[in-house]
Amino acid sequence: MYKFLAVCGFGVGSSMVLKMSIEKAAKERGIDCEVENTDLSSAKGTGADAVFTSQELGDELKGSTKSPVYPIQRYMDKEEVGKALDDFLSTKD
Amino acid sequence: MLKQYLSEDTMQHKTSVDNWEEAITVAARPLLNKGVIDESYVEAMIDSVEKNGPYIVLKDYFALPHAQAGAGVNEVGMSLLTLEESVDLKGNEVKVFLVLAAVDASAHLDALSEVSQLLMDDEKYEVVLQGDLEKIRQLIEEGNE
Repeated sequence: MYKFLAVCGFGVGSSMVLKMSIEKAAKERGIDCEVENTDLSSAKGTGADAVFTSQELGDELKGSTKSPVYPIQRYMDKEEVGKALDDFLSTKD
Repeated sequence: MLKQYLSEDTMQHKTSVDNWEEAITVAARPLLNKGVIDESYVEAMIDSVEKNGPYIVLKDYFALPHAQAGAGVNEVGMSLLTLEESVDLKGNEVKVFLVLAAVDASAHLDALSEVSQLLMDDEKYEVVLQGDLEKIRQLIEEGNE
């Protein structure tokens, strides 16, 4: 099972929506995963298989997390989120 | 539940605004008037876009302005502004602004989940984009059935 982080600035709104999009896309792909939504500062100290967040926050995170960071422009765009998920999976083959 | 937050007095329709800052300020006004949020929360939502980028644009034409839970927020609240003419939010055209005021990490989640279901349904989302408040209210009512 993979552990993913969905990150926004505050961990209450956008990241929650992103978490739902990731779960939906993961389900469609038959991936077993656990998604946690969180704010930027908590994300820095949390390990995960992959981190999904905006371009801006991703740039800020990259220096402080060992997890691969996948930037998402539209948190509710199932196709974009799905593509990021596919990118992550292709690193696991 | 969503309809508990989005009612006649928290939903507005306008032809246009000058910029996205004005859109957020106008969209948040009902919550400010009701004492749900303080002025500082409105500023925090605008600052967040400046600092963290436009990720509150969750899909084309839809933005979810929000900031830190509980900071300048007195109770959970949401308010809606639909625009006839879209406004630019850092490279994204937006017609619908849904202000979210949270007190903690969980109290608003049911309502937010309803919002997301509404927006992920293409037909319903089309109705939301049209901006007719009466029709949007109907959708919200139906969502609760």
